Parts: sequence; C-alpha cells; structure tokens
Amino acid sequence: MSSIVKTEDLTFDYIRRDEEGNVEGIITAVDNVSLDVKEGEFIAILGHNGSGKSTLAKHINAILYPTEGTVYVDGKDTSDIRNLWDVRQCAGMIFQNPDNQIIGQIVEEDVGFGPENLGTPTEEIWQRVEESLRAVHMYELRKKSPNKLSGGQKQRVSIAGVLAMHPKCIILDEPTAMLDPEGRKEVIRSIRALNDVEKITIILITHNMEETIYADRIFVMDKGKIAMEGTPKEIFSKVERLQSLRLTVPQVTLLAHELKKAGLQLPDGILTAEELICQLS
Amino acid sequence: MLRDITLGQYYSTDSVIHRLDPRVKLMGTLCYIISLFCVKNPLGYALCALFLCIVIALSKVPVKFMIRGLKAIILLLLIAGFFNLFFTPGDPIWQWKKISISKQGIYMASTMVLRLALLIMGSSIMTLTTTPNYLTDGLEKGLGFLKVIKVPVHEIAMMMSIALRFIPILLEETDKIMKAQMARGADFESKNIIKKAKALVPLLVPLFVSAFRRANDLALAMEARCYRGGEGRTKMKPLKYKKSDAFAYIIIFAYLALCIFLGRMLFS
Amino acid sequence: MSIILDHLCHTYEAGTTLKSEALKDISLKIDDGEFIGLIGHTGSGKSTLVQHLNGLLKPTSGNIYYNGADINDSDYDIKSLRKEVGLVFQYPEHQLFETDVFSDVCFGPKNMGFDKKEVELTAYSALETVGIDHDLFYVSPFDLSGGQKRRVAIAGVLAMKPKVLILDEPTAGLDPAGRDEILGLVRKLHKENGITVILVSHSMEDVANNVGRIIVMERGGIFMDGTPTDIFARSDELETIGLAAPEVTYIMRALKKKGLDVNTFATTIDEAVPSILSALKARKC
Repeated sequence: MSSIVKTEDLTFDYIRRDEEGNVEGIITAVDNVSLDVKEGEFIAILGHNGSGKSTLAKHINAILYPTEGTVYVDGKDTSDIRNLWDVRQCAGMIFQNPDNQIIGQIVEEDVGFGPENLGTPTEEIWQRVEESLRAVHMYELRKKSPNKLSGGQKQRVSIAGVLAMHPKCIILDEPTAMLDPEGRKEVIRSIRALNDVEKITIILITHNMEETIYADRIFVMDKGKIAMEGTPKEIFSKVERLQSLRLTVPQVTLLAHELKKAGLQLPDGILTAEELICQLS
Repeated sequence: MLRDITLGQYYSTDSVIHRLDPRVKLMGTLCYIISLFCVKNPLGYALCALFLCIVIALSKVPVKFMIRGLKAIILLLLIAGFFNLFFTPGDPIWQWKKISISKQGIYMASTMVLRLALLIMGSSIMTLTTTPNYLTDGLEKGLGFLKVIKVPVHEIAMMMSIALRFIPILLEETDKIMKAQMARGADFESKNIIKKAKALVPLLVPLFVSAFRRANDLALAMEARCYRGGEGRTKMKPLKYKKSDAFAYIIIFAYLALCIFLGRMLFS
Repeated sequence: MSIILDHLCHTYEAGTTLKSEALKDISLKIDDGEFIGLIGHTGSGKSTLVQHLNGLLKPTSGNIYYNGADINDSDYDIKSLRKEVGLVFQYPEHQLFETDVFSDVCFGPKNMGFDKKEVELTAYSALETVGIDHDLFYVSPFDLSGGQKRRVAIAGVLAMKPKVLILDEPTAGLDPAGRDEILGLVRKLHKENGITVILVSHSMEDVANNVGRIIVMERGGIFMDGTPTDIFARSDELETIGLAAPEVTYIMRALKKKGLDVNTFATTIDEAVPSILSALKARKC
C-alpha cells in the first residue's frame, strides 16, 4: 500500500522572543521524527500534554512547516507553497475545542464551508454536505444551530465538515478531550466507521488509552521524540514504561498487569475484559 | 440577563419572511428606518406599528421573544423618554419649581420612545429571520459594487458572520467567569463606580485571553479547511431573487412612499 | 455542621417558552468531613446544584441551610458563605487574570478581607499544598503548563481556607498523570485538612477510587445516593440511564459466573486483585 503521510527527520523548534524580538530560547517541540502512515491505516499518537504530539499534527496539515526535515502528504512536500491547498484538502484536521472550529451558523452551512473554499459547484456542495452528515449520523440535525448541540455532536459536525472536502486522511488532535463519556463514544464510533467503511486514513492524537485499542499502530511520543511504536497489544504490555511517560493503560490491562505482578501466569497486553475472563477461568 | 439580547439571534422556523432574499430584508430594514423618521403624526406612527405587526405575524416569531429583546434596551428607552419629557420647551401642564412637563414634552417623549422601540424591533426582525450567514451573504452581494473602490466586502462580511457566531459563546463565557470570580469573593454588585470598574479587571482579562485563544483556534481551523479569502469561492446557498422577493420589494417601496406622503401631508 | 437542601427546585428562564427545570425537588444532607462524588450526564443538573451551595444561583423554590442558617435569607452574609464553601469551576484556569501566580492566588483571600500578612500566608500555603514550585510564584500564570494552571486556579480557591470544597470536573482535559495529580491532591485535602469534598465527575473510575458516598443525578433529580458499593451493586439501574459501574466490577461478576468465588462488590483494582488471587487459590485446593 502506498504511504499517505510520511515524515523524514522532522524537527520543529519554537523560538521564544522577548519584547525587542531577540531570541530568548529555543524549544524543540518535535525532535527528529520519522514515520510512515499507509493509506487506510488507523494510527494513534499517544503522549502526555506537552509531548509534542499536537505540533507534529499541525505539520501534516501544513499549518506549521518543519525547521529541519521534510513532511510528505500523498507524496507532496508540505513546505512547497504550491502544494499548500492540495495538502490541506488531502489531510483534513479536527481540533480539540468543539466550539472554536465551527464557522457556520447552521450545521449544514458549516459543513459546506470547506467545499465552498475549494470552489466546488453549488449542486455538488449540497451532495457532499448530505453524504458527510449522513456518514456521522448528523443529517437529522442539519438545520440546527451549532450552539444548541452537545459537545459530541459538535465534533461530529466538524468531522463532517472535513469529510465534505473529500480528504484521504483525517488528523484528529485530541478530539475527545473536552467531551463527556457519551460524546467520546459517539466521536470514536464515527471515526472507526470512517476508517472501516470509507477507508479513510485516521491519525488520532489522544491521551485517552481506551480510544486507541482499535488502532492498527500506536506511536507514543515523549519530549518531541517517538518513544514507543507498535500494535496496541505490544504497547499496552509495557505498563511501567507507559507510566514513566505520564500515561496509563486501560483498566482491564492494568488489572491484568497487577495480577501478573502478584504471581499469576497471564499473557502480556490483555486489552478487553473477555480476554482476561477467558484467561482466568 | 445576558440571554435577553435578541439582537443578532436567529429564531429558527419557516415563514414567508424567513424565505425572503436577505437583500430584500436589508433593503426593507433600511426603508423601515427611513420611514420611522419621515412620519410626524400619530396616523403615521400607527401605520409604522401596523406594518411591523404584520411583518412580525408573518415571521412567526413569538411576540414574547420580541418583547424580551426590548428589555435589554429599556434603560435607553427610559433615558430618552426622561430627557424629552422634562427638557422639551412648550406650554407647561405641570410644574414644580424649575422642572416642568409640557404638552409638547409628553408628545416628544412618547413618540421618541415609540420610535426607538419600533426601530429596535424592526431591525431585530431582520436578524431573527435571517441566518447571519445569509445576512452577510446579502451584505456581500448587495454591497459587492464597493469592491471596485477596493473595499474588502467579502472580508467584512466574513468578520461579521464570525462575530455573530461567537457572541452567544462569549456571553456564556462571561457569565461563567463572572461566577467563578464571585466564588472567589469578587463583588460585581458594588454601588461605588471606582470599585465597580476595578472589579471588572478579573472579568475582562480572562475574557480577552479567551477571545484571543478562540480567534487563534478559529483562524487555524479555517485555514485547515482551505479558507483563502473570497477569491475562487463558490456558494452553497447562492442568492437568487424569486417572485416573492420582487413582490416584497413592491410592498416595501409602496409602504415607504405612503409614509413619506403622510409625513409631507402634515407640513402642507 | 452540615449543608441541608430542602425541596430545592431551580427553573431556568422561568415564565418563558424556553423554561427548563434544571433541579426538581432535591432534598439532601451533606455532613462535615464527607467525600462525595456527584455523578450524572451533561445536563443532569450537577453544575446547577453545586452553584446553589455557595449562593451563586438562587433556588426557584426550596431552601438551603448551611450550619442551620438559611443562606438565602436577606441578612445572610453571602461573602462568608463563599469563603467557607469554595467552588472550583470546570476549566478553572480560564479565570486566571493577574500578572503573576502569587497575586492571582491572593485575589480570593483579599476579597474576603483578610489582612495583608494573612493574605500572603494563606496564598503561600495554598500554593505549597497544590505543589507549585517556589520559582514559579512570580511568573505569569499564562506561561504555565495546562496542569500547573489548573493547580494554581485550585490554590486560588484553597487560599480562602474553605471548609467545603466543590470541584466541578477538575480533571477534564488533563493527561492521565495530570489527572492522578489532581485526584491525589483532592484526596490529601480531604484526609489531612479534613475538608468536606464534593467531586463532580463523569468518570466512575475516578469516583470509585476516592469517595465515600456517591450521588447520582438524572434529569434534575437524585437518582441514587449511597456508598460506592451500594451504588455499583445496582449497576443494572445505572445502565438504564446510560451510566455504568467501573469495568472492574463487571469483570468480577463475569468471573463469579464462571465459578470463581470472588468479591463482586469490588470496585477498584486494589480491591479486585487480592480477591481474585484468593479465589484462584481456593479453587486449586
């Protein structure tokens, strides 16, 4: 399968300046990261707050440009200004705060915003809006004001808004951090459906472990570097390592881990309750 | 209290007024405002009020909703009424020392208050029945000719539309920060003006910080969705005049003509 | 010493078409030194309820008594109530406004009319309690990390030396380690300083691990009220309103069904581990 997002030795420095514009300090937010995401994959990027995962995400959407190294989206170099709109259309982005990314006053108008920017003919915009809203099960609420929706619904509108631009890949930067458990479930369900049904590549950035167990691969970031990489099973079998990175594992995995520490014979990386029960009885 | 401001709030329903082209509604509002300043006699005001009542009835916006919008400007109304009542020279009908109320004063005060109330309701009916997006579309297209003299019409329209979307969010936020500071003992109800101004700092600083953060987030989100100004943009809901719009224009102009005629009549 | 809610009702936008009953006939007694978890969906009335406890919202009907006095009496000193009942809002870092951390924490005690020395002392000890380093005292609060900002904001409430501390989803948006830090802090405040704590949360796990009493709210009313064990034993009722017991409880029940003699009332990993181990041992014999 061809790669959709590829970074080569990506480094990004935040330069802090004082009032006169002199350089006060340099913070390396992303440090020499190379990763390769294949088309159709579901990738999760884990990391504590300030680990550089959001900065990395912003590179994929060409909001930030690498200080060193290169980022390719669908084979196009994001640093090349000529590729800017292609990159952003191909790799859509969802942000954390559900309120701060909805532009339209009505759900359907917001979903139409992206295609409008792309210069899509009116008739096709309507088609795309309908498809996208149906894909996230928000079609019935298309005439509502976003202010009247729950957090989870707002995030689904945002996802529809990106979907209407027909991207190949969607990057979600902590889309559930500000939601209640109900909203979280809704959003994760929508994301998984997009990956399964529409075959859209998903890059999910989060620090909520339960959300990553369906991912094909997980990258764990720390201090701007990729600290761990592997399948959920591989990652979650290293409970202590994760805890040292200010993360934790799902409750079930933690229970299994504690039982194992107490001397029980259990395999590593148990992710679901069924697995654990099966092993114990 | 903050929820009472109807100006800039859209009331979602389906009516004849809702379906009109925003340009018609903009022109209609403009004509209505002009008409309010043309009429000079009770008959004229009655006509203005009647016209507004018909429009409100057609719009299916509950009257309660409109009245609530007036609550927010009640102070303004009272001040306008007060000054006109006491400071209009004329034949006094009531006097106490230097303060007097004249016949003309009563007339001026009541027409002033009526005029202001009609003005506010007349303009809020536009925002209540038009989604701000349509409204800005209307402005953008209606004022499109200004682009020739380098007025950034699209940008202004977009800014208005965003401002309108964030008003309710920022109002809610103000409410929240206010409560949070009150929980820390802040006093926003002090009578002392200086104290009151000082008390606003803990409210305004977080509010501005939040507004900037939101603005930054929103700018990123818009760029991520390929927003690059008005150039090359298509419209999801392009504006097109329908038959009903032409009909509405005729009614509006007829109404305006009638008002001007009534206003003139008084002088002749 | 206690808080008593007597038939408390609150209706937003009363008398308009938009009216919504946020609280319906709530009667409740909160004793000194309790650690309460308040759970419910968004919109179940949790936030509305806690804002009544320090007089930020006035009940539409019903009364609230703090230490026997009705807090909505016209001559009740509402300022002293807000000093004793500290309320930390959701995302409290959004209320920071001063130029440096220390002055921001001083805001509360200053408003409460403490003298200058006392203001500084309480602010200092509050910052120590929440674990903010001394070299951060005089930096701008806006330069701190998310977790630090949150702790400073909590210190801003603690500096008023409240006897009751209400926290509205204090861990929202934090990473797992940040969440544990805040919950650890809350536990410490309850245990060491003897503060009555009301923790509003969505997370059953967070609550199960910490509190002594759970109040479940649904549609403006109290749906359940009891110890975590009581509440989670009735998990089928919780499920009818879309909530659930901690995952551990479900695992324990499934194990019991499979013939393992485990304690099905276990709600935390710490309780579950010994129970599973001893059950497995018993089976081997």
